[in-house]
This record gives sequence, structure tokens and C-alpha cells, in this order.
Amino acid sequence: MSHLQVTDLRVDFGGLRAVDGLTFGVKKGEILCLLGPNGAGKSTTLDLICGKTQPTGGSVRFEDVEISRMFEFERARRGVGRKFQVPSVYKELTVAENLAVAQSRKPGIWHALTRLSHSGRDRFEPILEKVGLEKRADVVAGNLSHGETQWLEIAMLIAQDSRLILMDEPTAGMTIQETARTAEIFRTLSKSHTLIVVEHDMSFVRTVADRIIVMNRGALLAEGSITEIEANEDVKTAYLGH
Amino acid sequence: MTTRLFYDLAGLALFAVVIVLGVPALMGFDAFELNTFARYLALAIVALALALSWGGAGLLNLGQAATFGMGSYAMAMHLKLKASGDALPDFMGWNNVSELPLIWVPFHSLAFTLIAGLLVPAFIGGLIAIFMFRARIAGVFVAIITLAFLVAFQLVVIEQQGITGGQNGLTGLAPLELPGWSVDTYSLSFYYLAAGCLMLAITLGLYITHSKFGLILRAIREDADRTRFFGYNVANYQTAIFCISAALAGWAGMLYTLVLEFASPTYMSVSFSLAIVIWCAVGGRDSVLAAAVGAILVNLLEGKLSDIYVEGWNLMLGVTFVLVVMFMPRGLHGLLGDLTNLFRRGAGKRRGNRSAPTQTAKTGQEL
Ligand SMILES: Nc1ncnc2c1ncn2[C@@H]1O[C@H](COP(=O)(O)OP(=O)(O)O)[C@@H](O)[C@H]1O
Ligand SMILES: [Mg+2]
Repeated sequence: MSHLQVTDLRVDFGGLRAVDGLTFGVKKGEILCLLGPNGAGKSTTLDLICGKTQPTGGSVRFEDVEISRMFEFERARRGVGRKFQVPSVYKELTVAENLAVAQSRKPGIWHALTRLSHSGRDRFEPILEKVGLEKRADVVAGNLSHGETQWLEIAMLIAQDSRLILMDEPTAGMTIQETARTAEIFRTLSKSHTLIVVEHDMSFVRTVADRIIVMNRGALLAEGSITEIEANEDVKTAYLGH
Repeated sequence: MTTRLFYDLAGLALFAVVIVLGVPALMGFDAFELNTFARYLALAIVALALALSWGGAGLLNLGQAATFGMGSYAMAMHLKLKASGDALPDFMGWNNVSELPLIWVPFHSLAFTLIAGLLVPAFIGGLIAIFMFRARIAGVFVAIITLAFLVAFQLVVIEQQGITGGQNGLTGLAPLELPGWSVDTYSLSFYYLAAGCLMLAITLGLYITHSKFGLILRAIREDADRTRFFGYNVANYQTAIFCISAALAGWAGMLYTLVLEFASPTYMSVSFSLAIVIWCAVGGRDSVLAAAVGAILVNLLEGKLSDIYVEGWNLMLGVTFVLVVMFMPRGLHGLLGDLTNLFRRGAGKRRGNRSAPTQTAKTGQEL
């Protein structure tokens, strides 16, 4: 049974059908990589799953509940987490404060009113160590380097602890070493989380992907293991044709 | 304890010493001067209420004067009933009202008055907030809508002469009777009542700022959309801070009526609302304490200068505001922070020349 099941998903932007009858599923604990040429509709697909964009039609079922009509914060509460393509940390907050916001198991007002802002800090230590930011906890995020900002975002996803994590180009701009470290973190994450990753870096995809789907012009083009995808003629044409 | 919390608590302690000991001593315990200062303390509460929503959550509420007015009128209604005894309040007779309006009846009770002075503003503020924030209205539109509400509300209050006293407001009030204490507003004990209210309000404000609730509001201020994707119901958070801010404004309004011994529709004017914004901006909207200090300083200055430059005061205030916005966007509080940083960096550099440079880096980080 699928952890997330997308069925016949569609969205129109004016005249443009950015996602067009997309159907796929992800199993619990699986890392699914989403590939496709620029403008294929990968980011839009993630937007539709997390609630940033409302679909024109089709269904998104997460843990057997239809979520495609819910508000984004309701989906987040159910366990859908999202990393955006452009780094989006809170630049005015410190690293520790960013994690405190991300750590949102209990997002209600009453809970927030009865806790100090830095409560639960010791829980962040292992997460910060995992991404190498343990010495930067009190630095304002706006003062981090580009690389550190990306690590902070990954740390925030870990702190948020969503059961389904949607990642949009997580290794963009990373060095080879950083990419390898990210891959390692993702493999650990997949023990307890389901991941959908949009990524261009094929060596990264090769390391982390359990399964791959390829999109083109808003629709599913191919699905399978890395070897199957690399041998697929349609995929070759889609990439070369662009 | 975080550095921020430490600075805020130290600031609060210093402020408390100045207000509790310094000011009465400086005024020579003069009852008239203390009453004037108590007025500033009441205004400081409404300024810090605005700082909570404007500085803390990025929601510029230009209708703050309306909720302030609600508190002020609640207290005035109670004191007016007290002054009228068994008779109808005098102005009602002049307006051909022959029976006490239903809305006035519960204000015979002091307990009801105090609760209404807090909860009515909170409820009305919350109602407007729910409609605005559910619709995801943000930025300058919040300022426009709250301003429009203020204008409409003041009109209604002036219109409903028979109930509100219209343009004249509510005058001829009795002194407040607390259990075992008939409050004389020209006394040291009344000054301490006002000071106590302000301290309590600041402490509450600081607690909110340092709670996770305050943190989430800062996150929302910076990026509301991102915060939704963490599962926070942004509209609820914004509505909650509007309610809290409105209740504090109502509290300030009640105190203000006690000090001035009347309530007037000018408390609900656009210019009063803008004045609150100016106090907040001058002190520093990021800190409730700084906003309170800003309100006290500007009003102190106004008290001293408006006697000398009767005509020019509003102009000066306006120019000050423009200058503050242009050159001191974070107010006196921000200026203080910048100066400390500059000083520390200078000191660090000098120290760095003598000792290891790593030491310098560390000091820099701990700021
Ligand atoms: N909010 C939007 N409004 C209009 N068109 C959009 C919007 N978002 C995406 N698109 C269009 O939808 C198509 C798919 O975009 P996107 O999902 O970002 O592609 P990918 O992430 O695969 O590169 C593109 O043609 C893009 O221009
Ligand atoms: Mg994209």
C-alpha cells in the first residue's frame, strides 16, 4: 500500500497545463527521485502535494486520507514537510530559533504560549551535529554562508520530523563532499521517513534513489530503477529534444 | 538564559528603579507632577501594546486608539454611574433619554467594568482580526483596514449622543472606589498604581516576546507562507496577538480615564492613533520596554515643549517621526544596540591587537 498516492493530478495556469494527469505512488520509507527537463512540472507537483498550489483536478491521498483540498498548514500537521527550491530559512532568527520554529509537533497557540522560545534546545544538539552547525547555534541565520544555510534547511526538515518529506533540488550549489554528506543523511532519514526528491545530479540520484519517475510536459514519461531509466529511449529523447 | 532575555530583564530592572524611585524623587513627590507622569505611564501601556503587534508580528494596527477608547469609556461609564447615584447620568436627560440604556446597566459593577474594559476591546479586535487574517490580508492593508475601522468607530461614538455623551464625552466622574481605598488621582499611591500596571504590562509583554508564541510571531513576520508549511495556523496566531494587544490597550484606556477624570471621543481619533505609532517608532517597536520608554519620553517632551511652542508642537512631532523613520528605523532601542556593537567591535579590535585573533572572533559571535 502506498504511503502517498497521487492519482490523475492536474493543474492549469491560465492556458498552461503544468501538471497533466499525473499518477504515481510512494511506499513508506522509500526514496523516490523525480526527474525531468526544466519546466516539466516537478516543482509544481511538489507544490500540489504540500498545498502551495490548489489542483484543478485529481486526488492526493496521504496515509489513506484525501489531502488535496486541505490548507497547507493542515497537511503539514498531518506530516507533509517541504524544502523549497530557493533556500528559505528565517534570516532574522538564530540557527537555534529556526530549529525551534521547525520543531512543530504541537503547533497550537496554547502550547506556544506556555513554552519559552529556547525550550527544547538540547534536543537540537544532535541535529546540529549531524549537519555540522553545532558551533553556530546562536548565529543569526542571515549571517550564515550559502552552504551553511542549506545545511540549516536540512536540519530544519529533520527537526520538523515529517513522515513525508518533499525536497526540491536539495544539493544545488553544493560541493561534491557536501553532496555525498547529504546523500548519507537522506539514507538515514529514509529509515523512518518517506522522501520525494527532485534532483538533477545523477550521481546523487544513483546513490539515494530506490525508484525513479521521469516527468515531461506535466505527465509521467517513465518509471523504474536507475538502470531502467538510463536505458529508456523516451527519456533520452525528452532530454535531448530540449 | 539567552543573552536577549538577560538584556531585557536588566533593562526592566533599571526601568523599574527609575519609575518607582527616581521619578517620584525627581518630582519632589509633587502630587500634580506625579499625576502628569501617571498619564505618561498609562500611555506607555498602549504604546507597548502596539509594539507587540507591530514590532512583534509585523502587523501595523492603526486602530489601536479605538480599543484604547473602549477601555476608557468602560471605566468612565462606571464612574459616571457612581457620580449620578440613583439618578440618570445628566447628559442623558439633555438628550431626551429617559431610561438608563441597557448597555449601561452592568457597569454599576466594578468587577464587570474591569473585565469589560479588557474583554470588549479584545473581542472587537479579535473579530476584525479573524476576518482580516483568515483572508490572508497582510502588510499595508492591515493598516488601512484598522484605520478605516477607527474612523467609523469614532463616528458611531460621536453619533450616539444619548449613550456616549457624543462630542463632549463623559465628564463629571466620581473617584474610583476600590475595596478600602477611595482613589485620589493626585497622590503617590495612585502614581504607584499606574506604575504597577505598567510594570505588569511590560512583564507580560516580555514574557510573550520570549515565549515560543513570540518566536512563531517573529517567524510569521518574516515569512508567513513558510511558517504555514511547518503546520502553524498563521491566522490564529495573528488573531491572538491582536486580541492581547487590544486588551492591553483597553487596560491603558481605563487607567487614562482615571488620570484625566473624563473620557473623550478624541481618544479614538486618527491623530491619537498616529501618536501611538510615533511613540513606538521613537522608542523602538521591536521591544515592549523600548516602546514604553518612547511613549514616556515623547510625552515628557511634549509636556515641556507644547507650553512654549503651542502651535509648532504637532509640526515638530511630525518632523521627528520622519527623521526617526529615515535615520533610526529601529528607534532609540536600535540605536543603542548599534552603538553597543560599535563599541564592542572597537574594544575587540584593540584587544585583538594584543592577544590572539580567535579571541576577537568569539567575542563578536556572542553579541
Ligand atoms: N505559479 C505559476 N503560474 C504560472 N505558470 C507557472 C507557475 N508555476 C509554474 N508555472 C509553469 O509551469 C511549468 C512547470 O514549472 P515547474 O514545476 O517549476 O517545472 P520544473 O520544476 O520541473 O522545472 C513551467 O512552464 C512554468 O513556467
Ligand atoms: Mg523546479
